[in-house]
Amino acid sequence: MEKEKSPEESRKLLDKITFDLTRSIVKRDELTNFWYFILIMFALVGLWGWGIQVRDGLGVTGMRDYVSWGMYIANFVFFVAVSLIGFLISSALHLLKIKWSKVISRVAEQVAIAGVALAGIIIVMDMGRPDRFLNVFLHGRFASPIIWDVTVVTTYLTISVLLFYLPLLPDLALLRDKGSDDIPQWKRNVYRILALGWKGNAEQYKLMAHAMRILMILIVPVGLSIHTVTSWLFAATLRSGWDTTIFGPYFVAGAFVAGVAAVIIVMYMYRVRYGLKDYFEDYHFNMMGKLFVLVCLVYLYFNINEFFVPGYKMKTAESIHLSNLFTGKFSTMFWATQLFGLFLPITLMVNKFFRKPLPITIISVFVLIASWFKRYIIVIPTLEHPFLPVQNVPENYQHYAPTSIETMITVFSFMAAILIITILAKMFPVIAIWEYAEEKGISREIISEPKN
Amino acid sequence: MKKQFTLTLVIALMTVYQGMAQEWLVPDDQKGLTNPSEYNLSNVKKGKDLYMKNCKSCHGDPGKHNGLPLVPPPPDMVSEQMQKNTDGELFFKITKGRGGMPQFETTISEDDRWRLINFIRNFDPSHEQLLVDAPPQKAKLLASVNEVEKKVEIFAEVDDKNGSFVKLPNAAVKISAKKAFGNLPIGEVLTNAEGRAEYQIPETLIGDESGMVNIVVQLDENYVTDNVVLDAAKVGQPKPQPRLIKKEILWSTNENVQSWLLLSYLGAVGAAWAAIGYVVFQIFKIWRVGKE
Repeated sequence: MEKEKSPEESRKLLDKITFDLTRSIVKRDELTNFWYFILIMFALVGLWGWGIQVRDGLGVTGMRDYVSWGMYIANFVFFVAVSLIGFLISSALHLLKIKWSKVISRVAEQVAIAGVALAGIIIVMDMGRPDRFLNVFLHGRFASPIIWDVTVVTTYLTISVLLFYLPLLPDLALLRDKGSDDIPQWKRNVYRILALGWKGNAEQYKLMAHAMRILMILIVPVGLSIHTVTSWLFAATLRSGWDTTIFGPYFVAGAFVAGVAAVIIVMYMYRVRYGLKDYFEDYHFNMMGKLFVLVCLVYLYFNINEFFVPGYKMKTAESIHLSNLFTGKFSTMFWATQLFGLFLPITLMVNKFFRKPLPITIISVFVLIASWFKRYIIVIPTLEHPFLPVQNVPENYQHYAPTSIETMITVFSFMAAILIITILAKMFPVIAIWEYAEEKGISREIISEPKN
Repeated sequence: MKKQFTLTLVIALMTVYQGMAQEWLVPDDQKGLTNPSEYNLSNVKKGKDLYMKNCKSCHGDPGKHNGLPLVPPPPDMVSEQMQKNTDGELFFKITKGRGGMPQFETTISEDDRWRLINFIRNFDPSHEQLLVDAPPQKAKLLASVNEVEKKVEIFAEVDDKNGSFVKLPNAAVKISAKKAFGNLPIGEVLTNAEGRAEYQIPETLIGDESGMVNIVVQLDENYVTDNVVLDAAKVGQPKPQPRLIKKEILWSTNENVQSWLLLSYLGAVGAAWAAIGYVVFQIFKIWRVGKE
């Protein structure tokens, strides 16, 4: 924290910070409209595909008796993975008192909320009878990992929303009191309601800090379990490729890779679009790059364990699965995900140059795409090779290929996730104004004083 | 017993009788024997009882041609093939048997065998028909279960053709237990002069999970009456219900969930949501402080 500034200086600086960070809320030009148009249009096309699927049943997908989990589940795992970054950045790094991550926490929470919300929606979209969704809660079996997953996804969503909302309170009050007239009236009405009469007195700050601390501690086990339980959906079965004890940490490590990539992309977008060069500094990208290398190395370590140990033994069923990945049908996808999702980011980002904003964003895009395909490779090849031979079934039962309906619905999920992030960015400041101002040495009294 | 007997018969017929000669020669000295038992109602009735027990299972109901489809087919009592036999021939054939037709020399006394022949002759056009199927009579049947003594108490009345009901003595009442696939006959009892009867339910009767039995009481087919169904009488042994699934086993229903797993799940979820509830309460407190 910088040295406390004089009141005049503070007010001037706070005005500047507020102006910069509310640019995303105020700004509404052609590009914004176009962006919304694109997102909503593609999302609607996806919803149309879902309509067809609800009408005609899951037969419109490529899923059959053997491969009963297709692209939807791979996509679900991807979104759960991406959402885990909220736990890493806004809780784990905070608890470790790492300062540079504070600016990024709200971005991380946005990504987390979008990811986990979409994870839930994708599961409903994968249901043949979504109208029976409530039966999951009414008749769920406590011994089933699927029930654990439903529970943990809803719990994590709730905590993420709270973790996003709580540090937002002073900002909402600040915008309510000092927001420029450029902010649309309806948004300011929303701020007034959501601010819950925040006055910025010591007691309220104390209560908020207390609640935040509980949430940050709570999200550690919940965050770890959301992806561990997702991995148990696979690891609790006996199938080759899934029947492994390291699936929990393997998934969590992979989740951090995907999440860091997603956050870097969103950060870069905000930096360019909302002119936040002084807030998402090169320094933050540099630190994120270092974190990126770290999580990639951890993930690499788990990948080696995951593939080297069974690859060394080559047990009958495992060897079919592994040769399918290494040299068979899925080899291109497999080696591409390992190359773009692990080897390249590690080798490139150890150089300082590649941790600059633009190069690291480009790398992140590749890593994010690779991590999506990585989930595809975890789900489908195992299902294509059950222990009992696949016999006397039609050709399209033997191999899985996603249909256009599935692609449409998957595109919907991406568009909906980006839409959630966009709306959050358009509604609320992408960086906690009060926290940033405090870091710059502006006292709380000045932050919470009404507009003069 | 009867079932086993029929089965033995069928097997014997299938294996032994195939392709044997149709002619059944009876020694001449036997052919001419005359029936020592008198052709009267009493003997014909007795013959009917014997027929029902020993012959009906293959030869079927007289006149209905519903005998078992065996090779050669057991002839109906009313058929010419049956009636062209002399009394002596019938007696010989019943006594000795051949192929699928068993011998009754050792199981039915000589007198009774002759009575059987009296019954057969009831369907001979040249004889006066003594047994006439009377039209069924209207009757009323009342029954109740004494659960303590495990008894069914029955009271039967019959229409005396003047429109009033009088006690029905000497009528056969069948008692069965209603099961999933039909009625299981468990006994028969005759009404006394008062039109009443009591039936002691056997100790071995098995009911449902709690020993409940649905008892059906019916009069024989000479009477028109509604069967009495006594629902859920606690007179049977409870049905043994072996648990097919081990307790606390994975991939089973919630009743069989492992307790450690259930406790871990509920404990973790409960703790997480309690903490969330606490945080929401803090938010509420923030709001309350703001209002002051």
